[in-house]
Amino acid sequence: MNCLDYRRQLLTGTGETDAMRVHRQQCAGCATEWAEHAAFEEALGEAMRVPVPPGFAERMAHAQVARRRKFLAAAATTLVAAGVGGYAWLARQDPLAMACIDFVMKEEAKSIMMGAMPRSEAALALAGTLPLGLVERVGQVRHIAPCPFNGQTAYHVVLAVPQGKVTLLVMPSTRMSGKRRAAKEGMYAAVVAMTSGSVGIIGSDAEVVSSVAGALRS
Amino acid sequence: MGFEDLVRSHAADLFRYAYWLARDRAQAEDVVQEALLRGWRAFPRLRERAAAKSWLFAIVRNEYLRALGAAAPAAESLDGVEIADERQELFGLEMRDALLALPASYAEPLALQVLGGFSCAEIAAMIGASEGATMTRLTRARQALRRLCEPRDRKAGRT
Repeated sequence: MNCLDYRRQLLTGTGETDAMRVHRQQCAGCATEWAEHAAFEEALGEAMRVPVPPGFAERMAHAQVARRRKFLAAAATTLVAAGVGGYAWLARQDPLAMACIDFVMKEEAKSIMMGAMPRSEAALALAGTLPLGLVERVGQVRHIAPCPFNGQTAYHVVLAVPQGKVTLLVMPSTRMSGKRRAAKEGMYAAVVAMTSGSVGIIGSDAEVVSSVAGALRS
Repeated sequence: MGFEDLVRSHAADLFRYAYWLARDRAQAEDVVQEALLRGWRAFPRLRERAAAKSWLFAIVRNEYLRALGAAAPAAESLDGVEIADERQELFGLEMRDALLALPASYAEPLALQVLGGFSCAEIAAMIGASEGATMTRLTRARQALRRLCEPRDRKAGRT
């Protein structure tokens, strides 16, 4: 490393390598150049960071929430229009849907306390049944972990949606057709068939559960 | 990280990047807004979540070019690009004015490096140039900025 190489590399703005640092420590001229460069970079960063319109980030984030609400509303409307909406929650107390509610009431807290699995692993585990990207489009994923459920390894997902919180139980090994539902003590569950496996959606608001079910199947 | 969190984390720097592309605050805001709508639609298909930041910057760039009604500009020969102070007698500028005097082909990689913190290789991929050409642009941009910000007396002494 000589002075010319040192100064050339400095001008690329890619930072100082070990070899450059060694040279600087032995060269007074390049040490001065380094100090001037640091001041220049600070001024450059400051100039580049032009003021952002007040509340810009929040406004942009809020627009995403509004879009998701519209998406959920559209999914729910589609369900009704197709004649498959309007879950008659109390008409049929399906055992699997009921087990989903029991899981949330008795096991959910324990599952959360056991810790979440890494996102990359979760994406792989869910991919065949319910792509994580689709879940994240519907709401913010707060927790994902494997859990024993209904004689298989299911995946417990806690999802924050604009209207509150819902729980998903992704069951890769449960094959079924149509949908099942249950209601118990203010909790509602729908189990819907996916291309492979099925998903239980559990929440305290029947409409939200229906909307999420529709959105996940859409 | 969900899309909403991504937006919250990067909206400010996306706006600033759009500003250095468009050099206009209102247009920068429109470009980011439109880009985020496209991003929201495409987000479920994004496999590499670790690359979400560069993905967002790339969408802003594409949206800006789309808004211009132009395809991505062909890679410029560096010899054909004039740095402002080579054609005008500019000196002693404040850094922000000096940046405004830079050709877009120099200001853009600089914005991606300074605002986005991207490496030369990442910037090269985003702007469709070779890594060597990107490094040259970054170097020449800094050289030009130093000259543009140089006080009149030092500049006179140098020439």
